[in-house]
Formats: sequence, C-alpha cells, structure tokens
Amino acid sequence: MPLRTILIDDEQPARDVVKHYLKDFPEIEILGEFTDGFSGLKAIQELKPDLVFLDVQMPKLTGLELLELLDQPPLIIFSTAYDQYAIKAFEMNAIDYLLKPYSKERFTQAIQKALSQAGTGAKASAPVQNLVKTLEENPEFLQRIAVKSRHKVTVVPIDEIIYLEAEGDYVMMHTKDARHLKEKTMKYFETHLDPSQFIRIHRSYIVNARFIDRIEYYDKENYAVLTKTGAKLRASTSGYKILKQVLNM
Amino acid sequence: MQHPVFLNKRSVSVYFGLWALIIGAHFSIFYFIYYFPIEVSLADSLVFNVLFAGVGISMWYIVRYSIPDQKNIWNVVFNHFSFLTLTLVVWNGLSYTILSTIFSSNKVYMDLLMVSIPNKIISGVIFYIVIGLTYYLFIYYINLQEKVKIESRLRMVLKETELNMLKSQINPHFLFNSLNSISSLTITNPDKAREMVIKLSDFLRYSVSNNAASFTTLEVEMANIRRYLEIEKVRFGDKLLFDFKLEGSCSTHQVPVMLLQPLFENAIKHGVYESTEQVRIDMDCEYKDGYLEIRIVNDFDPNAHPRKGTGIGLNNIRERLRLLYKNDKLLRTVVEGTRFTVYLSLPNTGSKTV
Repeated sequence: MPLRTILIDDEQPARDVVKHYLKDFPEIEILGEFTDGFSGLKAIQELKPDLVFLDVQMPKLTGLELLELLDQPPLIIFSTAYDQYAIKAFEMNAIDYLLKPYSKERFTQAIQKALSQAGTGAKASAPVQNLVKTLEENPEFLQRIAVKSRHKVTVVPIDEIIYLEAEGDYVMMHTKDARHLKEKTMKYFETHLDPSQFIRIHRSYIVNARFIDRIEYYDKENYAVLTKTGAKLRASTSGYKILKQVLNM
Repeated sequence: MQHPVFLNKRSVSVYFGLWALIIGAHFSIFYFIYYFPIEVSLADSLVFNVLFAGVGISMWYIVRYSIPDQKNIWNVVFNHFSFLTLTLVVWNGLSYTILSTIFSSNKVYMDLLMVSIPNKIISGVIFYIVIGLTYYLFIYYINLQEKVKIESRLRMVLKETELNMLKSQINPHFLFNSLNSISSLTITNPDKAREMVIKLSDFLRYSVSNNAASFTTLEVEMANIRRYLEIEKVRFGDKLLFDFKLEGSCSTHQVPVMLLQPLFENAIKHGVYESTEQVRIDMDCEYKDGYLEIRIVNDFDPNAHPRKGTGIGLNNIRERLRLLYKNDKLLRTVVEGTRFTVYLSLPNTGSKTV
C-alpha cells in the first residue's frame, strides 16, 4: 500500500522540488498540493494523508500553527529556510526537517525515516543536541495562537489575551469578547509567552500585564489581580512576588 | 552656560583666593616699600581690588554674549572697548571718591592717589584682559567638549545604522528561499535558473558594495529594487505584481543608496508573505518645490496578525534621513483599508557627505 502524501507550501518552485525528488519513490503517492495553512489544514482533515510535507512560513497560518491544531497528526516533514524553527519542529514530533535548499540525499534520508515509521505508529524524535543552542540564542515568544472550535480556526493575537486559566488538561484563553480552549499546559504558555508581558500569578492563572487594572487584598494574606475587564484573579504568594518584580512595584 | 566662577565651591575659592593674593601683594608694596600707615595700605589695596573682583564677575556677561566670528568681530571689539572704558572710569572714580573721603587729611597719600591714576588704568586693562581671556578659554573648552560628545554619538549612530543596513541587505530568509527557487529552476527551467543566479548576484553585489553614506540616482536604486522584486516574483508568481512610474526628472535625482530597499522588503513581508490574495506594489515619484516626492503603495491583509514587530525598518530609515538630511520628518506612512502607503520626501539640497 503506497504512502499517501500532500504538499503544503506557498511557493511553486519549492513544491516543484519535492515533486521532482518524489518521482524516484513510487511507493509514495501525491494526493494534492496546497498553498496556505488553512487549505492545508482542511486537506489533512478530509484526505487524511499518511505523510505531509509542510512549509513553516506561510500566510495566515504557519506550518507550526497548523500542526498544533491537528488531533491525530500524520507523519510530518517540515521544510524551512529559517533555522530557528527547527527546534520547535522537534518539540512537535516532526519526523524530520529540511533546510531549504536541500539535496536529494538529504531528502532521501527524510523519506526513509518516514517509510520506516509508517504504520508503526511510533514517532521517534530526531537528534536535537546542536539545535538547543539555536533556540537559546533566538528566544522567540509566541505572537499569536491558533485555536480550533468545532467548525473554524481562529488566530488570536497574544495582545488580545487578557488572561489564561487552567482548565484540566486544557487552558482557557480569555479575550475581550470570547473564550478559547487550547490543548496545552500552563507550563507551555509560561515558557512560550513573553514573561515581561504575561505573568504567572497563580497555579491556575497567567495574566497579561497590559490588562491589569489594580491589585488588592483577596483575603488577609493573599492578593488578587483585577483586570480592566473586571475579572478578579487570585495571586499566590510566589505569584505576587513575580508580579511585583515585573511591574516594578 | 553656567558662570565659571560659580561652577562649584572650588571655582569660587580659586577666584577669590587669587584676588586675596593680589590684595596681599598690593598691601605689601604700600606698607613695606612706600611705608604708608597700615590703615592706608589696607584701604587702598582693598578698595581697588575688591571693586575689580566685582567687575570681573560681571564681565562674564559681556564675554558670554560677545562670541566673535567672521561677521561680528568689530561688534565684539566695540563691546569690549566700551565696557572697558566704562569700567575704568567707574572703578577709578568710585575708588578715588571712597579713599579721598576717608583720608582727606593725609596730604602725601592724596598726592599719590592723583599721580597713580595712570598706573591704576594700566593694571585695570591688564586685569580686564586676563579675566576676559580666561572666560573665552572656558567657553572654548566647554564647546569643544560638547562637540566631541555630539560627534562621538553621531559616529555611533551611523555605525549602528550601517550594521542594521547590512542585516537587511543580507536577509537570510530571502537568500535561502531564493537559493531554493534556483535549485528548483535547475530542474524545471535551467535557463531561468541561470538568469536568477545572475539577478541574485547583481542584487547582492549592489547591497555589499555601497556604504550607508553614499548616494546614487533614483534610477540605479530602482533598478536594484526591480531585481529584488523579480527574484521574489519567481517564488510567488502571480501573487506579486509591481509597477514603477519613474518620470524623467525624478530618475536622475540623487538618493541615499539602499534607502528604499527596506520599504519594498516591508511591502513583501507584510503584503505577500502574509496574504493569500494578489498583492500589488506601486511606486511613483514627482519633483515638487525642491523635493523628490516618492510614493510607495502596497496591498496588505489587515486581518493577518504579523508575527514579528513592524516599524524597525521604518525607524532605521528615519534615523538615516536624520543623519543625512538633519530632518526626521521626511517619511510618512498612511494605512487606508487594505492599502499601505509610504510617502518619502528627499530634499534636493541634501548634503552628500555625512
């Protein structure tokens, strides 16, 4: 049974390379090509391919954001010209990443990894050691978060988030006029959002400093943060300490 | 500028300390050499010198507002001459009045007071010159310090800008994606691949061979931008459209090298990279009231939330304009629906050196 694949890349020449290299792999069948994140996401959900060649930098929805939205992601081979995304690709269990432009040999390696993993269900993580440094040198915080409800995908700019609230295995993102549930941990947001703007004030809360209205006593020993939208969030003792530090109180 | 005598406690004590020494010397001459009584020696040395110490302090205001340059040298000379004359008359007159009132019965001293007037005038002129020159020296020193400070800051900013520019010239994202396109074209269209290698080489050569302070004609600058957009067009195909309208008088106008490049990079970054629709980039220019007015318009998707901060490129351009033309209001941006417009006015008289 052939490995069914789709290509998602907004650049025609980039797709041409993949198609050309794939000519030598009759065991891989191309179902289609897609030129942006949204149509790619739809295609993955409808066609259910085994393997996806996914570009990182695309309009509206990046490859990384797309992958986050998939419940049962297929095998993913990322391609990008941006070195700094590589580490993130591994966090997300991509089977390989290709730095553009890449050779046929390098491409073949990636395909062989995909073929050996196809059907096993196992997703081995690739070697990471020399990439950790890249991440440390390029700390890049989230600028927006893609969320999926039953019917649609919304991209929420982080500046619109008022606070985040832990909700079981999920995190609820509160904006001015909506709430979005995201399957991530509080720890993830704590490390991926700019800590000078997003403050972990409690086990269950991360607040956007720009929306803090005032801080008052919650009870005798504890404080609460009041947001400009009127929400009252309890701060733990350690959370209050961080809050004081970040706000220079 | 602060009065040099009253800068701090030290400057005050130095000034009055020096006058104390002069008073001491003056007193010694009267008392030990001419054998005047102690009260006469004391009064003479105190009255003349304390009065001049006061004159010395007020002289600062004359010096401060009589800084000579080529145009007003005679004004300055006139100012000093009149103030010196006035000083000598008032100083001698006042001292003479005070001393002659106190010691009117001392015939010998009264005679000396009369004959010593020329000496007093000479010493007054000397005091005046010494104090005046000291003040001028002080002003010169302060200005020099200021100039050195400003100069070193300008150099630093220029260097930073050049570094930033270097960064935008060799944008790794652009470079690697272009190389990937070339890699692809070698398979599908080798002739076009070769053409693109040449375009990319020309673009890079232009980017690295000029520094931030050099100028070129708008025509040459736009030719390089056309190369850049043609390379991007290979990647994005019909998604990217562009059109330049360069009229005769505009194309020969001098512009700073690579000044416009970041504006087109922005148009690509916020327009083409973030949009799924077709994006048009239009550029036109006209020559008006001694300014070259350049307009760059591009489509963008206002709903696409840019992943990276905007404005760095624009601020770099503003900083460069400030350095080159000493004016940071030459760049203006307007957002209108899905159209982003940059207006740039470049003076014709812009200095061509930094």
